[in-house]
Amino acid sequence: MKKLAVTVLSFIITVPMVNAQKGVSPYVNYAAGGRLNMHVDSAAKNVYYANKFPNQPNTSFNYLPEVNHVSVQMYFQKTENPENFRYTILEDNKPLVVNKPINKEQLQDVIRKDHEWKDEVRDSTSLGTFPIKGKTITILTYDIKRPQDVYKSVFYGKPIPSAKIEVLAKRFATERGVDYSHIVNPKERIDLTFAEKDDELTIVKERSDLDYLYSTSIKDNKTGKIIFESTAWLYGGYLNEEDKLSPYVKIDKSIFKKSGDYEIIIQPMIRWDISLDNDVFKYDISPQEIEKYTARYTLAITLDQESYTKKEAFIYILIIAFFLGLVFLVILYFTRKRNKKKLAEQEQQKNAAKLQLNSIRSQLNPHFLFNALSGIQNLMNKNETDRANKYLAKFARLTRNVLDDKELISLSQEKTLLDDYLQMEQLRFGFQYEINPSEDLDLANIEIPSMLLQPFVENAVKHGISQQATAGKITIEFMKQANDLVLTVADNGNGFDTEKKHNGLGMQLSSSRIALLNRIYKENRFILAMQSTTNGTKIGLTLTDWL
Amino acid sequence: MMRAVLIDDEISNLENLRTLLAKHCPQVTIIATAQRVGDAVDAIEKYLPNLVFLDIQMGDKTGFDVLRLLPSRDFEVIFVTAYDQYGIQAVKFAALDYLLKPIDIEELMNAVNKAEHKLAAQTQTSQLDFLLQQLRKPETNVNKIALQMQGEIRYVALSEIIRCEADNTYTHFFLSSSEKIMVSKSLKEYADLLCPNGFLRTHQSHLVNPKYVKSWLKEDGGILLLLSGEKIPISKPNKDTVKQALQQANLTNSRRSLKSD
Repeated sequence: MKKLAVTVLSFIITVPMVNAQKGVSPYVNYAAGGRLNMHVDSAAKNVYYANKFPNQPNTSFNYLPEVNHVSVQMYFQKTENPENFRYTILEDNKPLVVNKPINKEQLQDVIRKDHEWKDEVRDSTSLGTFPIKGKTITILTYDIKRPQDVYKSVFYGKPIPSAKIEVLAKRFATERGVDYSHIVNPKERIDLTFAEKDDELTIVKERSDLDYLYSTSIKDNKTGKIIFESTAWLYGGYLNEEDKLSPYVKIDKSIFKKSGDYEIIIQPMIRWDISLDNDVFKYDISPQEIEKYTARYTLAITLDQESYTKKEAFIYILIIAFFLGLVFLVILYFTRKRNKKKLAEQEQQKNAAKLQLNSIRSQLNPHFLFNALSGIQNLMNKNETDRANKYLAKFARLTRNVLDDKELISLSQEKTLLDDYLQMEQLRFGFQYEINPSEDLDLANIEIPSMLLQPFVENAVKHGISQQATAGKITIEFMKQANDLVLTVADNGNGFDTEKKHNGLGMQLSSSRIALLNRIYKENRFILAMQSTTNGTKIGLTLTDWL
Repeated sequence: MMRAVLIDDEISNLENLRTLLAKHCPQVTIIATAQRVGDAVDAIEKYLPNLVFLDIQMGDKTGFDVLRLLPSRDFEVIFVTAYDQYGIQAVKFAALDYLLKPIDIEELMNAVNKAEHKLAAQTQTSQLDFLLQQLRKPETNVNKIALQMQGEIRYVALSEIIRCEADNTYTHFFLSSSEKIMVSKSLKEYADLLCPNGFLRTHQSHLVNPKYVKSWLKEDGGILLLLSGEKIPISKPNKDTVKQALQQANLTNSRRSLKSD
């Protein structure tokens, strides 16, 4: 649509005949900034235009790389007085015309049918046709009523030079304030270290007439993101060799979050995708061409202290938390496993102890058993049938108890067993015995490990009184002492040296039994005390906290 | 006529034995009884019996103590015990007679008869000396065994025995001197005595000293070849234990030879 409009309009515009002679098309008409308009060679395609420069109002930049000649017109509204206007033309930096007033005679009526002019008729005058190839034509216009409002239009007929960094300056804190370290004429790759005291980076660009055209940006090469952009330049502080102020930008250190490569890009602020040629979005210029105008520097940054974005920090915290959690879980797992193992081991130990106890219990002195049978045999041979029966029954009860493998028996059962046992032994050796349970003990309900006292009693019989015949006496007592159950076995035999190691099966079994019982009943202690004199032996077994 | 002294620390046992002897062994006259070691020694020295019934366990002491305390032991002994594995083992190695309590009447009569025969043959026996010698050594270090032959006792070093072979209730001993001895006891009894000393029961009829084994032949499911060239069968149930025992014996043998080098 727009293209059509431009074509239609072109017919109406009147152009001086001189222009046609120089190959300037009277039909291709471009705005050139301010009140200026221009015609270029009909062959020229790429005409670019920019007029949005920060801190540079009233400035237009017309990039005409393929144009040979440009003719420039100036327009006035009918309400304005063209005589008030002055214009200056420079070719490169050489003035062709300075502050020249408008020649009123040359004014022509012009009408343009677009939304800006709205069929308004304006006055137009030609400022001239200029060869532009390899040159810069700068036209300054102003109204003498407002001489401070100078309009500047630049017609640029040569390749845009790529910018150059003159100095990179790093600011750092000192005791007195700040100081700078400089890198002059940096190469394409710049190694830079930011320590804690460093706080600011200054990029000083080599001064040119086109400073305003360039913008500076910094790209994080890792993420590909632009982390800094500046379209303006500061002046003041940096003087070049010609004592002119050089443009610079200041960059806070904080934009560099990580060590790594960054790219400084300084490029002309021309919308290459909008060509004046047709006013539509398209690239008539190749990216390679654009790249020629672009300055790139790689900044290899090393940070003493890396800083993290919230997101990164969050992720790191998450990862650390995850690992800590993992470590915790692993530790938990292993401790549990170990505890489990320990428990299992303890259980196993306990079981092993019980098994051992059982085996010891059932091992109970075969010597006694066979001798008891022998005693019964004697009764039979003597035809004492009743007594033989009685002892056979006792013998059966004793062996049954051994075979039963019961863990606990009541005190009264224990008393019965000891009675049986001692009576069997009485058959072999003539001696006296008594069992005295204390009255404050509930014999029927207090339980003790079975066959607990039997080995001690057996020992008393064997080592204590077997040699004494009828004079021997064994006294067994069950007593209560606070919460402890105390069981004693005393004999009036010759005694023995308690320090001496005895081969007697009974005593060996007894001490290992006590050790085993202490392993099984961890809450209670089984304390064995032995006293032996020539007048007798007394064994005390204390079951702590048993009652 | 046999004049016997009964020694037992339990009066009921003495009574019992007295009753049994009176009833079943009229050829035995009991000339004394004793309940303590000291009394027993005195009684034997005083009454000079030709037969002693000796209890092994006597309170803190043993019947062997009685024998040790006697300057001469010119009598037959029948040991009596309720339960004493170590003592009985030694008694068996010495090929002496023993009775277990409660007493089996038949065993009692056999033992008395044997003693009577020995006394009649008037063979000088040194079995008691041998027993006391063996008792002085640690349990597993027995190196000799008494073999009761017809009218003779042979003391054979275990290392001399190549192998034993069962022949009903008899056992043939094959010695390294190529001698062959026949003993009227079952192989089972000797297996019980000799297996703890390293002998291998390869078969129900064969007991082999691993020292004399040359190799293991795989023919017929396993046969032991002895250094003498004899082949001894190995029965299936014994295969694994024999194999293991041989491997262990080989290991200790090779270690020994290394040391001697």
